[in-house]
Amino acid sequence: MSHFSAFPPSSESFRRRPAKGGRGASVTHDSAEQHVTGAAQYVDDIPELARTLHAAIGKSPVAKGTLTQLDLSPVRTAAGVVDVVTIADMPAVTDIGPVYQGDPILAGPELQFHGQALFAVAAATFIEARKAVALAAIQVDEQIPTLTLEQALASGERVRPDHRMVKGDAKKALAGAPNTLTNTLYNKGQEHFYLESQVSYAVPTDDGGMTIYTSSQHPSEVQKLVAEVLGIAMHKVTVLVRRMGGGFGGKETQAAPWACLAAVLAVRNKRPVKLRLDRQDDMVLTGKRHDFFTRWTVGFDDDGQLIGADIHLAGLCGFSPDLSDAIVDRAMFHVDNAYDFPAMAVLGQRCKTNTVSNTAFRGFGGPQGMIVGEAMMDDIARATGLDPLDVRLKNLYQNGDKTHYGQPIEDFHIERLITQLERECEYRQRRHDITEFNQQHPYLKRGLALTPVRFGISFTVQHLNQAGALINIYTDGSIQINHGGTEMGQGLFTKVAQVVANEFSVDLDYVQVTATATDKVPNTSPTAASSGSDLNGKAAQAACQTIKQRLVDLAVEHFGVAPDDVHFINNHVVVGVGDSAQWFTFAEFVQLAYEQRVSLSATGYYRTPKIFYDRDTASGRPFYYYALGASCSEVEIDTLTGEYRVLRTDILHDVGASLSPAIDIGQIEGGFVQGMGWLTTEELTWDAKGKLASASAATYKIPTSMDVPSILNVRLFDQPNAEETIYNSKAVGEPPLMHGISVWCALRDAAASVANYAINPPLDTPATPERVLAAVMACQAHNEGLVAEQIS
Amino acid sequence: MIRFNLNGEWIEDGNIDPMCTILNYLRTHMAQTDVKEGCAAGDCGACTVMLASLDNGQLSFYTVNACIALMAHLHNRYIFTAQGIAQQPLHPAQQAMIDFHGSQCGFCTPGIVMSLATLYQQRLQQGIDLNIVPSDHDIHAALSGNLCRCTGYQPIVSAARHMGDYPKRDCAEQVQAAAVVEFDPNVGVSREPLQQSASSQLFMPQTEAELIALLQQYPTAQLWAGGTDLGLAITQQFKTMACVIVLGRVQGLSAIEIQNKQMSLGALCSYSDVEQELTTRVPSLAELVQRIGSRQIRNLGTLGGNIANASPIGDMPPAFLALGAEVEINGIYGLHTIALEQFFTGYKQTQLRAGEYIRRIIFNLPQENDHVFLWKISKRHDDDISAVMFALKLSIENDTIIAAKLALGGMAATPIRAYHVESGLIGQPVNLATFKQAGSLLEQDCSPMSDVRASASYRLQVGKNLLLRAALELTRGTLQAEVAS
Repeated sequence: MSHFSAFPPSSESFRRRPAKGGRGASVTHDSAEQHVTGAAQYVDDIPELARTLHAAIGKSPVAKGTLTQLDLSPVRTAAGVVDVVTIADMPAVTDIGPVYQGDPILAGPELQFHGQALFAVAAATFIEARKAVALAAIQVDEQIPTLTLEQALASGERVRPDHRMVKGDAKKALAGAPNTLTNTLYNKGQEHFYLESQVSYAVPTDDGGMTIYTSSQHPSEVQKLVAEVLGIAMHKVTVLVRRMGGGFGGKETQAAPWACLAAVLAVRNKRPVKLRLDRQDDMVLTGKRHDFFTRWTVGFDDDGQLIGADIHLAGLCGFSPDLSDAIVDRAMFHVDNAYDFPAMAVLGQRCKTNTVSNTAFRGFGGPQGMIVGEAMMDDIARATGLDPLDVRLKNLYQNGDKTHYGQPIEDFHIERLITQLERECEYRQRRHDITEFNQQHPYLKRGLALTPVRFGISFTVQHLNQAGALINIYTDGSIQINHGGTEMGQGLFTKVAQVVANEFSVDLDYVQVTATATDKVPNTSPTAASSGSDLNGKAAQAACQTIKQRLVDLAVEHFGVAPDDVHFINNHVVVGVGDSAQWFTFAEFVQLAYEQRVSLSATGYYRTPKIFYDRDTASGRPFYYYALGASCSEVEIDTLTGEYRVLRTDILHDVGASLSPAIDIGQIEGGFVQGMGWLTTEELTWDAKGKLASASAATYKIPTSMDVPSILNVRLFDQPNAEETIYNSKAVGEPPLMHGISVWCALRDAAASVANYAINPPLDTPATPERVLAAVMACQAHNEGLVAEQIS
Repeated sequence: MIRFNLNGEWIEDGNIDPMCTILNYLRTHMAQTDVKEGCAAGDCGACTVMLASLDNGQLSFYTVNACIALMAHLHNRYIFTAQGIAQQPLHPAQQAMIDFHGSQCGFCTPGIVMSLATLYQQRLQQGIDLNIVPSDHDIHAALSGNLCRCTGYQPIVSAARHMGDYPKRDCAEQVQAAAVVEFDPNVGVSREPLQQSASSQLFMPQTEAELIALLQQYPTAQLWAGGTDLGLAITQQFKTMACVIVLGRVQGLSAIEIQNKQMSLGALCSYSDVEQELTTRVPSLAELVQRIGSRQIRNLGTLGGNIANASPIGDMPPAFLALGAEVEINGIYGLHTIALEQFFTGYKQTQLRAGEYIRRIIFNLPQENDHVFLWKISKRHDDDISAVMFALKLSIENDTIIAAKLALGGMAATPIRAYHVESGLIGQPVNLATFKQAGSLLEQDCSPMSDVRASASYRLQVGKNLLLRAALELTRGTLQAEVAS
């Protein structure tokens, strides 16, 4: 990796050696060496240009109110301060809402959440800027804020209208069902906690434009918003993203405000400006995963067969729409998970609160929907006395079924996947062992759960399902590929490079992916919705095929062979067949093409076929296909304290024909642990005034190495995608996060054991030791009630 | 003037602000951007660096969070960053991380590499055969302060297990090579400030006599031991301290002594310093120490600092209260000793007067009839702060409790003793009813708060339930039937 070795001359052994690192090869991350040596450059690591200023954000001191006075003179005169701006100083557009209006670049006079960005300071150093913001004299006419879902549901405040999806007649189905269960679940949100906090570096250009180095999943949107805020054309703004130190959805829309403010300060001061949020500011200023409160009634027969369900999902959106419409939609799309509800009515509510505007986070509402489906399966199992896995197996979708939004179920092999996992992880034997353990131990109880994942792949906003790529081949045979996707650690650059290596049958070392740049591939979609390799892999492949066609045409013309007799094999271009075949190294043939005046640069474009969704009728095929998987987790809880350990997790996951197995397994393991964190240790808390109380790594706890199950088995389910995705692979970014649900179900199973599974213990999330203890105590109260009954 | 060796190069700088952290200096003055800022609060480990100290010929390697450690800590020491160990062939920690796919976004990676490289180097120093795979316990301890949001840790743990597969790398050789450069270990270590700026000065005394003389001159100076909490005042609240006395180099305050069944721990002992000794002497205390902060924090943080800081959620004070510890205090009013239970006077308030410092902590080692339960309850196992810290020492003779000390953290404005519960235990037989009955008195001892870590009702419930757990542990299952019913 460190040294580029030019193509060697062709030789017998070189001709025989297959190209390295193509599709399906377990290669290392393209930046692995830079990562481990610290050479990998993130935005804050870029050597600063002379006279670079550092910006910091002044924030709203209340959750709701009207500004009556904002005296910034002490800020202006503080040591090192060069400039201070409020919304009144913005040169052009001031609302930077990504889809709908509602996100002012700086607040005022109305303040809409505690910590909302109110003004920005540029100073000579980061510390001077941070010290200065504290000096502002802010007076506010404070109003009573809406802080909770409960309050917003009661008051009817919404950021977007309610939406419904209907299948059959749920009301009638429930009325006729022999059994119904009504329950609720509150899922708290989740902080992204990407290790690299938000950062942008704005450098003015000599033509009145701006170059932005940013840590963003959506460079094209940053470009558009910076142009709008500055009041200049988009072609004056270039946005570059080489890599992010983690994204997870938190840099889809949330990176833009800081880029815009840095740009404004850079224009005003004619100096480069860096705006980096430190951890506490990042946690306060940027949106998180939505809280959801879900209420449902589910009907089923005595054998645990589903009859119908009525489900109300309410998402806590914060003060503005941001992406919440699509996020609550995705929660609604996933509430069925893998199960066929003969009748279903789903209501999705987008509640408006005086809190930070919640945003994309790996799964994009899907996890909050899916966990409800899984909670129902467990509830039904305990109501009927069946094993929860049997209830799940009984209710799985079959090919030919339709979802509650009308998408037909095709190529659905989850039953085979589940039963394979069930066998491999010895579910039944362990269920038996756990029952024995629980009877014997005085205060430790174990729980087990096997839960599937069925996650829809595609942006549900149709036009986002497109991508572009640019490929340049140089005369030494080395290839540069650029595409609209961004690298946030997920290995997208590596996968796309593998696609290119594979198309030309050259070693992966000859392919270099370069920083995402809006001046190379324009009008790109965010790297989100797990779509990165599906979209950009296909676009890169299209670009490769264009150049390959030109090279084939050249061979046909130059050597007088048939097109079918030109092959790309083992780092060579082979012209002709049999004994007369001529072998050129790829570099030699590229040199020939150059000399014959053949263009060695091409763009590629891709749009996802088949998908559509009519929101008016709430029906269509929003997803090109579904990513599938299942996981089984075993936990042990301490019924005296609620403390617990995850003893073992087994995951079987379907990535189609894997593009890059090591990278896919990394996504699955990492996604699972992040999902487990969401449902266990990671707890966002706000104080009574609406101020984020868990605004640091000291109070917000993502998993450490110790929290990972001591046994964690991850395997790929080996079956090519039936759809024509890139080499029939499947997307892998988000779906594995939902394997964390098996941990939550297992915790609830362990608590329920205390009441001999007779009740469904309440276990809102995150299931901290405190909530697990409360679930245990609910079971103990049930037992005491039984004892009291027997006595009376 | 601060003098230190960065990746093999000696650097002397007389213009470093006393408030400057190692991370800030490395990134902004040395363009050493391989060291990352993730949280600037010692909680994520992205800034982890390996330090080496060569004191009296003793070479030791340890990790710290560069974000909260002052530059003064580096004085006359050696610092290694990911870039500094990246000669080809790469360090085993680096090559293993590549080969086992241990990095995704890569931002936490340099810090993780340094934690693993330090684990590797410490094993080398201890003469451990590198072909022996480190235990999971040691790997998790080494990684306890390194957060990774991408990988789920599994590949990082695999890399840690396989470091021994690669060609040996000994960073001590780099230190020995660098140490040849002539240096006077006393440079800047005296009653003169080691560093000063317009708003701040910093002293680093070497003896208690120097320290006391400085305290006479600057009685209100900020004493800085490990600085794992004080560092946050600088990095989170951007405070400036006018006068800081760094205690780390004062000789004679790091001793571990055992005499007449008493243990004496020097106030400047770091948690890591005492782990080994406690493992054999007071295993439950050793286990607790291993759950304090992270490896990086345990390397910096000191026992004396934890007590003087007087946080109601510090983990050591309840443990020492239950053990009946005394603190020895010295300073401008002379040497004296007080019982720890008299030491804490209010929220972050103590008997320590301006111009005084803690010398050591002394307690009686538990004897045959003693049972010590030290339980930390938190949301996360590693690197978290207690919701409840439960510390119980019982002396039992003939199945009767003859003495009991119960101390609790997280239950009041200070670490407290639960005297009512204690009185409910003393003189009673060891059975579940005794502990249940005693637990019912807990509300008389404390009325905890609800906060970000737990609710008041949970804290009380857990306090009572941990008494039951103690009973169950004591009776080794003979009471199972009673509980199960």
